Amino acid sequence: MIQESFPQEINHAKQVGIVGIPPLAVIQTLNRQGVKILDLDEPLIRANIENATPYLPRVYCAILRTAVINALELELDAVFIDVGPGKCDCALHTAQIMKDFLAIPVITTKNLDSSGYGFPLCEAKMDLVAKMQAITNGVKSAAPYAIQPPACRPTAGFWGVPPRDFSILSLFPDTTHIYGWTRCMENKTPADHELEAEYNPEIPTVFFAQSFCAKTASARYLAKKHPHGLYLDVDVHTTGSAKAKIQAFLELSGAGR
Amino acid sequence: MILGDFGTTYCKFLDLAKPGALPTIVPSRELWPDTRVDIATGHNGQRFADHYVNELIALARGGEILIPEKDYVLLDCGSRDIKFIKYKNGKLEDMGWNAECGASMGFTIELLKKYYELDYDDLQVPDHSFSVTCGVLGMSDIFDAVISGVEVAEAVARFVKGIAINAYRFAGSPAAIYLSGGLCDNPLFVKSFPCQVTTLGRFVLLTGLSAEAQRINQSNQDDNNGR
Repeated sequence: MIQESFPQEINHAKQVGIVGIPPLAVIQTLNRQGVKILDLDEPLIRANIENATPYLPRVYCAILRTAVINALELELDAVFIDVGPGKCDCALHTAQIMKDFLAIPVITTKNLDSSGYGFPLCEAKMDLVAKMQAITNGVKSAAPYAIQPPACRPTAGFWGVPPRDFSILSLFPDTTHIYGWTRCMENKTPADHELEAEYNPEIPTVFFAQSFCAKTASARYLAKKHPHGLYLDVDVHTTGSAKAKIQAFLELSGAGR
Repeated sequence: MILGDFGTTYCKFLDLAKPGALPTIVPSRELWPDTRVDIATGHNGQRFADHYVNELIALARGGEILIPEKDYVLLDCGSRDIKFIKYKNGKLEDMGWNAECGASMGFTIELLKKYYELDYDDLQVPDHSFSVTCGVLGMSDIFDAVISGVEVAEAVARFVKGIAINAYRFAGSPAAIYLSGGLCDNPLFVKSFPCQVTTLGRFVLLTGLSAEAQRINQSNQDDNNGR
């Protein structure tokens, strides 16, 4: 029973943070108890990311640094941080550090969920920023997807995790299909590495990873393997040259048409 | 229609209303702040025109016009950054833009020429090179070599060769390369590449902009014809 692993004080929690994707049973329990879930992987506050530096090195995953500054500033009753194969070793170490400096319970989970919910949004025709926001919001709910938009004919692909800086997504056409860990995220199977490695060789695809993330290896490798792939890693903010690379890649590949 | 390539050290202009006219070059520091062109590229370009074309697209379009082959690598070495495009069967296969880690190489080469009063026409390609990934950091190698007794000219030549090899590797180590940008005018740099090099000069981005100008004109004509 997953609830047995909940510390007793969580039973009265009003607001908790999550890092990565905790198992569905955790989300179901929190949903049932009416607990508000905040996704700490997203920039939720205006604090300087340098505030994480006393706890994590500057040269470290920007998403986990963001999770740390969120955890420092937000009023939370607990943090659930996934450290299983659906997340990363960096999260495991960050969880240890959070346990040390946060005065609230930091509960580690290992998400091995394997029942797919499907990934209709990943293949829908939709503004890519809105699509990514809808997928990341979906992490906070265990309910099946009410809306199942039809798949569109793809003209471009985005492979990877939800970027810390969504502004790079605004460069893609609405007919972009999403692959990689984001697809696993919508499917609620974050440790499904086979699904994560899938891509469509027929469409020009940007293989994205956060700088200093272990997934840069897969992103770079798959981009080389893909007949028309571009590897890109971005740290805290998207640089002008990174945006220009995406813009040029999509335009010169005819991806918008 | 006036086209402008606004680089870090030099700006290049072409007036399409004057057929046969050659592009003009103006040092960026001498540029008037109220300068306006119809289409711009270059990292400073967005300030000077309503229509901006990003540098990689301008480079690719210029290459499509100037290079007769279907398979090629075009590498642009500017003052601030290096970028390349690779075409296979007439289609984009790979590309890259190194504006951060490989920065300021061209700028540093020009700086060293002035500081040491060197003429790159007179320098021979050295047997050895420094491992250079950044213009600024690479200067330390020059100073260390000079302190250890290496002639200044030899030390600078090793630095320039190191930059050429770094740019070559960045472009995927091809057997042949088309080179564009201001460093085409530096014979030591060109000869330092460990592959066949064809220089296209510093106006490739302007050529790319002229293709964009044609596209705009065609689009306007289509609009006027009600298509």
